[in-house]
Amino acid sequence: MICYNCGCRLSEHNFCTGCGVDVSLYKRIMFTSNRFYNDGLEKASVRDLSGAIVSLRQSLKLNKNHIDARNLLGLVYFEMGEVVSALSEWVISKNLRPKKNIADDYIDMVQNNQSRLDTINQTIKKYNQALQYCYQDSEDLAVIQLKKVLSYNPKYVCAHQLLALLYIQTEEWEKAYRELQKCCQIDANNTITLRYMKEVEHMLSPEEGTKNAPKKRGSSEKIVRYQSGNETIIQPLNVKEHRGVSSLLNLGLGVIIGVAIACFLILPGRIQSAKADINKDLRAVSEQSDAKTATIDELEQKVQKLTDEKALLSEELASYQGTDGTLQATDGLMMAVSAYMKAPDDIKAIADYLEALDEEGEEAEEHKTDAFTSLYDSLVATVGPKLEEYYYNIGYSSFRSEDYDTAIPNLERAYRYNNTNGDALFYLGESYFYTEDYDTAKKIFAQVIDDYPGTRKASSSETHLAEINNAG
Amino acid sequence: MIDFEEELKKFHPSLEIEDAEEAIYNHDLTDMIDILIKMTDKPKVEEEE
Repeated sequence: MICYNCGCRLSEHNFCTGCGVDVSLYKRIMFTSNRFYNDGLEKASVRDLSGAIVSLRQSLKLNKNHIDARNLLGLVYFEMGEVVSALSEWVISKNLRPKKNIADDYIDMVQNNQSRLDTINQTIKKYNQALQYCYQDSEDLAVIQLKKVLSYNPKYVCAHQLLALLYIQTEEWEKAYRELQKCCQIDANNTITLRYMKEVEHMLSPEEGTKNAPKKRGSSEKIVRYQSGNETIIQPLNVKEHRGVSSLLNLGLGVIIGVAIACFLILPGRIQSAKADINKDLRAVSEQSDAKTATIDELEQKVQKLTDEKALLSEELASYQGTDGTLQATDGLMMAVSAYMKAPDDIKAIADYLEALDEEGEEAEEHKTDAFTSLYDSLVATVGPKLEEYYYNIGYSSFRSEDYDTAIPNLERAYRYNNTNGDALFYLGESYFYTEDYDTAKKIFAQVIDDYPGTRKASSSETHLAEINNAG
Repeated sequence: MIDFEEELKKFHPSLEIEDAEEAIYNHDLTDMIDILIKMTDKPKVEEEE
């Protein structure tokens, strides 16, 4: 203990050995403060928090610098849900002793957790709101609000007490009793709680208050009352059970209740579960079906594509292998060469093969290779004059016998194998003239006039041209 | 019998966290020792005068 006047450590004497001031009263105040602190500590340890608050306040009124008393007072407030009061005490404590003070840890514990701080603030605001509802006679709203408050902070004694008061007001004695029991678990000796409890107990068992003490004892012997969690179980003793018929009745009742539970509770659940399983399976099958349909579509597209490709390739192959293809043309030329090799004088056979080659048309021309053309040209160069003579003879004799349809192709071939054969060209023009194909005839006569001027063929051609022009 | 209105008057709004600072400043910290010191200081002042 330190002298309040000079700060010197005090001895067992009633005066300060440093400055000589009388410290007897000061020492008594300090001792009394400590006694109140010890009292508060004892009460807090047995959960008499209200009593502890009174003692600790007394201790602090005597000695405001009693740090332990102040910190303990803060803890007691915190335990009762009065967080702001607790924080106030701890802050003052920290200001009085900034170092080596456990209040520092307490403040950090509350303030470092922002969500917890928010929850505390919300709780206080809701409590104040509930109180406001009470003043406005909106008890039902207040009850709802207080239930929320207690869900956030179940140790808020004031909220429990206010809720119990509201239940008392609405004569919900059991609920009020439960709330008051919760209050007692937090603060065992709160005067308000105990007063409400007495009232509620009186209302719950009114006969206990009116009957005499021995009778009360007698009635209490018939029951066993014990606490199970938040519930008070009151169990009667020495009650004989009616056996026989009542047992069968109870058994039957139990069976009926069991069946009813099965029908109304278990069965719908099972049905729901089975439906869910079926739906799940159905979904799986549907997904599989969709996947297979997609695969089938894809395969069908592939088949269609392959069919188209096959048709295209078939057409291409036919173009190679058909009557208009190179293979056929090559075969014709080879046959003609073969015929010439076997019998060079058999012009008719050679001519037949070459005619067949000519009939293959322009498409075959496109597929002819350089080797083909070279062989063809060599053959024509070799047998060309004989072929010219062969065709000219046939063409001229046909012209003479006025068979112009036979004469025209043979004369054309004769002129093609030898384009200096003016007679062949002239008779070809005349054949067209007599078959009345005047356009072709005019071209041929013009060519005869140009190529063979001053000849008889040219003058005859001029005559025919004049006739055609006069006729047109 | 409990009178609801009377009981309700005993419940007061709780201090909110925003009000904590003001509550701390307004906290009366005067203790018995302060009074004792004042009491012991007063005669000294009177003697000096």
